[in-house]
Amino acid sequence: MLVIIGLFVFLFIIGIVIYNSLIGKRNQVTNAFSAIDVMLKKRYDLIPNLVEVVKQYTNYEQSTLTKIVELRARATSGNLTDEEKASLDTELSSAVIGLMVTVENYPDLKANTNFLNLQTTWTESEEQIAAARRTYNSAVTDYNNAIMMFPGNMFAGMLGYTKIDVLATPEEERKNISAKELFNN
Amino acid sequence: MDSEINSKANLQEVLNTLEVDRKKIAETYQTCYILIGLAVLIFAVGFFIRFIPLGIIGCLVPIIIAIVMYFRIEDDVIKYKSAYKMNVVGVALKDINETLTITPQSGLPEYEFISSELFTTEPDRYKTQDLISGIADKTSFWFAEVHAEYKTETQTKNGTRTTWHTIFKGIVFVADFNKNFNVSTVVRPKGIADAIGSWFSKNVFSFGDSEVVQLENIEFDNKFATFSKDQIEARYILTPAMMERILDLNSKSDDTISISFIHSKMYVAFPLSHNYFEAPIHSSLLVPDLLTNDLAIVKFMYDIVHELDLNTRIWGKE
Repeated sequence: MLVIIGLFVFLFIIGIVIYNSLIGKRNQVTNAFSAIDVMLKKRYDLIPNLVEVVKQYTNYEQSTLTKIVELRARATSGNLTDEEKASLDTELSSAVIGLMVTVENYPDLKANTNFLNLQTTWTESEEQIAAARRTYNSAVTDYNNAIMMFPGNMFAGMLGYTKIDVLATPEEERKNISAKELFNN
Repeated sequence: MDSEINSKANLQEVLNTLEVDRKKIAETYQTCYILIGLAVLIFAVGFFIRFIPLGIIGCLVPIIIAIVMYFRIEDDVIKYKSAYKMNVVGVALKDINETLTITPQSGLPEYEFISSELFTTEPDRYKTQDLISGIADKTSFWFAEVHAEYKTETQTKNGTRTTWHTIFKGIVFVADFNKNFNVSTVVRPKGIADAIGSWFSKNVFSFGDSEVVQLENIEFDNKFATFSKDQIEARYILTPAMMERILDLNSKSDDTISISFIHSKMYVAFPLSHNYFEAPIHSSLLVPDLLTNDLAIVKFMYDIVHELDLNTRIWGKE
């Protein structure tokens, strides 16, 4: 009788550990995504300043600037799914990188301290976002492994946990971003 | 070009002068060894002819002479070794880079070794020497030989026996890192305990070490255990490109290196058994490959800055 009770207690404890572990992993994923969100917001805040500075020096990049402003407005409007956020961010990122490349044609702008600071902050935030995305992907892989492997999969079914997709890292984020490279394009 | 020829001529002149001192020291040492040999012989003869007092008195004379000779030359040896480091190694370093300087008596302070978090054991005995510092483009760096040990004490019949164990022997390289960070990130060779720890943190979340960082580069993750209080910051430092560069650097070292990123600096510990930058006593200074090993290690350290791309400063650390 004692053996049966012991076994029952043991299984119960194991159950609690697995259950808590799954909840922990799920929270890690949420946490990691909100870290990306915070960093994206920080980066969106840079855009109005960037647009202002660029506007003062250029007359011909209006379409790019308008596109960037539009993308930012959509990205900060709320009501977006995680996937939409990610794809908007990629689009915005490449638009800004495109803008930075065209700066080559405006020597005055290139020498502007405000612009240089913004540019440095932008690349810094790119690096931080890349790191946050990788952290998110690591948390997602961990979580996916836990809910797909035995015995976690039994609990995952009960909790209604499903597989989450990892974020695809754009190829340009795989290397260190250097302003020099950007301007040499 | 002229200055290069001049510096080579100057170096040759210094070597010629030092060679005279070296020969004098080597001859004195040889005489000491012969005297010790003679002492042993006299004692053995006394023992065999069963006249031990004669053996003892007879062997004392050469031993005393040898000790006196040894201590009289000691000052010259110190001067010779220091002159070699300053005037030979110091001058040769300039061939690699003008900014390189050697300070033989300095090294990596013990408190810095401890605060670098490269090793988890605190040393009980710590020796460091031959600090070499320089600047590669925008990045200052320095490195020094370090020997850190801890002791264990065991109780025996005759009292306490102290045994010394090496924590680390080799060169610690330090460079200003090109990114700002708030917490420390440590990359250590993966031992069995680390492998178990990382398995738990991967598979059984509740029991795992939350400071273990699982990186996506499989080769890197198999070779090293990474620890950080901030998962994002660790990845911000260890970019995919940085991990590849660290693996490249590691493949050039015989033993697995340890790296830490702390207080906006990067520390790399290279375990090495050879003692570098020491003046030879029993072999000539006038051989062509005299400095080959020493300069190779300096060049290796100097190249780390480029290899790890520490000069790319776009992250606000101009």
